[in-house]
Amino acid sequence: MIAAIDIRGVTKVYNPASNQPVKALDNVSLTINDNEFFTLLGPSGCGKTTLLRLIAGFEQVSGGAIMLFDEEIVNLEPNQRPINTVFQHYALFPHMTVADNVAFGLERLRKPRSEIDATVERVLTLVKMKELGDRRPNQLSGGQQQRVALARALAPSPKVLLLDEPLSALDLKLRQAMREELKQLQKETGITFVFVTHDQEEALAMSDRIAVMSNGEVQQIGGPTDIYEHPVNRFVADFIGDTNFLDGEIVSFDDDLVTCRIGVQSMFEAENSGGHSIGDKVTLFLRPEKITLSPPDQASNVKTRPGKVANIVYLGNQTAYTLDMGDGIELTAQARPREDGKLPFAMGDSLAVGFSARALRVLAQ
Amino acid sequence: MQNPSSHKRKKVLPVGHYRGLGAWTVFFFIFLYLPIVVLIFYSFNANRMVMNWGGFGFDWYLKAFNNDDIQNAVWNSLIVATVATAFATSIATVGALVLARGGNFRGKTISLGLITLPLMVPEIVTAVAVLIFFSAVGINWGLGNVIIAHITFCIPFAFMPIRARLEGMDTSLEQAARDLYASEWETFRFVTVPLLMPGIVAGAMLSFVISMDDFIITLMVGGAGSTTLPVYIYSMIRRGLTPEINAVSTVLLFVSIAIVTAYWVVSKKGTD
Repeated sequence: MIAAIDIRGVTKVYNPASNQPVKALDNVSLTINDNEFFTLLGPSGCGKTTLLRLIAGFEQVSGGAIMLFDEEIVNLEPNQRPINTVFQHYALFPHMTVADNVAFGLERLRKPRSEIDATVERVLTLVKMKELGDRRPNQLSGGQQQRVALARALAPSPKVLLLDEPLSALDLKLRQAMREELKQLQKETGITFVFVTHDQEEALAMSDRIAVMSNGEVQQIGGPTDIYEHPVNRFVADFIGDTNFLDGEIVSFDDDLVTCRIGVQSMFEAENSGGHSIGDKVTLFLRPEKITLSPPDQASNVKTRPGKVANIVYLGNQTAYTLDMGDGIELTAQARPREDGKLPFAMGDSLAVGFSARALRVLAQ
Repeated sequence: MQNPSSHKRKKVLPVGHYRGLGAWTVFFFIFLYLPIVVLIFYSFNANRMVMNWGGFGFDWYLKAFNNDDIQNAVWNSLIVATVATAFATSIATVGALVLARGGNFRGKTISLGLITLPLMVPEIVTAVAVLIFFSAVGINWGLGNVIIAHITFCIPFAFMPIRARLEGMDTSLEQAARDLYASEWETFRFVTVPLLMPGIVAGAMLSFVISMDDFIITLMVGGAGSTTLPVYIYSMIRRGLTPEINAVSTVLLFVSIAIVTAYWVVSKKGTD
């Protein structure tokens, strides 16, 4: 696999000379492959946007190297890097038409006029904006401006396209539609996309691989299912999706399973990921959708525990139940509504709560 | 969005609530504008005496137009205003760019204060200072002296709208240009300047009007042969009032109104 961008031990400190230096990135290393949809995911202030700006060249690294197809680029000006950016608020030039906006990069690259015109038409067609080439940006809706910003960044055929939370200003329906279009666009153009977002759903839906960041460090890099199913630590598990955390201590283990004591006396079995010993303080995590709920008399042969409905949050397509498992343990589980639309369980119902040991995982502390 | 604003509006007391305020306002505007209306009115007087109405006519406009001294004064005013505006606007643009885009440097706050200070310094002080400076250094360039003096006091007027425009400008636009392969110069040329243009035009118009109107500094600095229109009008008054003064003043007034209106339109257009 060819590395499009190789981040090698990059550190970024803002205001290094002042008495309050801010470390935005701390020795970050990661490799983004060619023709990949790569996402930098994390809460605001985690350093994801800083990393993007370093790749684009709007900021200078404090240490480390950034390679673009094996070429060092940290000393290049933004206009010398074959990388384009889709800005969060689009940053379309208000004094130019849509077509002039898209042509801007090609004109600066001194392409012949005929080629510029052909490319502008091609990319505007690609983003379904061909008819609106004569409009000004302020005559366009948010979604249309988004498409123009994409077209403008794609027109010069950059080696890497950077996208800085481009969907955050759109409403939900449009955002969902644009997700698929972006993914499609990436496949069609074959350009490496580096996408920055704080929206885990967006990241899971679009990415080939995701880097989860926090406090200026990369926590985990992997495909969407890796990140969701095998988070390496509590931060990742907590940031991606809803999770039950159970803090406890290992009392025994064999090759397959570890047994943990949670609360005073409750025993939970979890998959053995190796490297544990008796007495270790660990956190188990369990995704709510891995838990099955049933009335006590209808419990299947899966091992179940008794629980009581302590809280109900109606979410439309499903309902989140908080279950009191006794011994100070609470679990959140999900259940779909019945066919007649009624909720399957009510407050205070006693239920059989089932989950397999394979659904529980041990997290590093 | 609608609720808070309508709520706010409710809180404001309607002006009509105060009895007599309307009449007071009308009186205020009459006080302010009646003299100007009278001045315009009598500029169309066909009589020789200023305050005796002798029928409608353009006689005094024609007379003023054919007066060589007035023509000279108008030319001087236009030359001074045009040259001073060009220099003041260029200097103000560069200054605004440095202060808004130059990052943090030592003396930034002081620079900002110094560039706008002339707005607060009494004009007579500036006039005396410039006069003393010219004679001390030995500069005696006639109209050139007037132009240099005008440049100094026009800079802050040109500076303010340009800076306001720059402050409101999204820096990500310039980043986008750099990202799209524009060099620093191309970014300035194709993005910064076009977006800054409404501010630059507004600043130029403002300093043009200020320069055209200036009296005190011009009177002090200008020697023989560099009489501008306001200074000439003043000297006419000393020789006796004729409707010619009214005619010239009226023309000056409408030129100023035209430029200020254009300034308003341009700066309004820039805010959308």
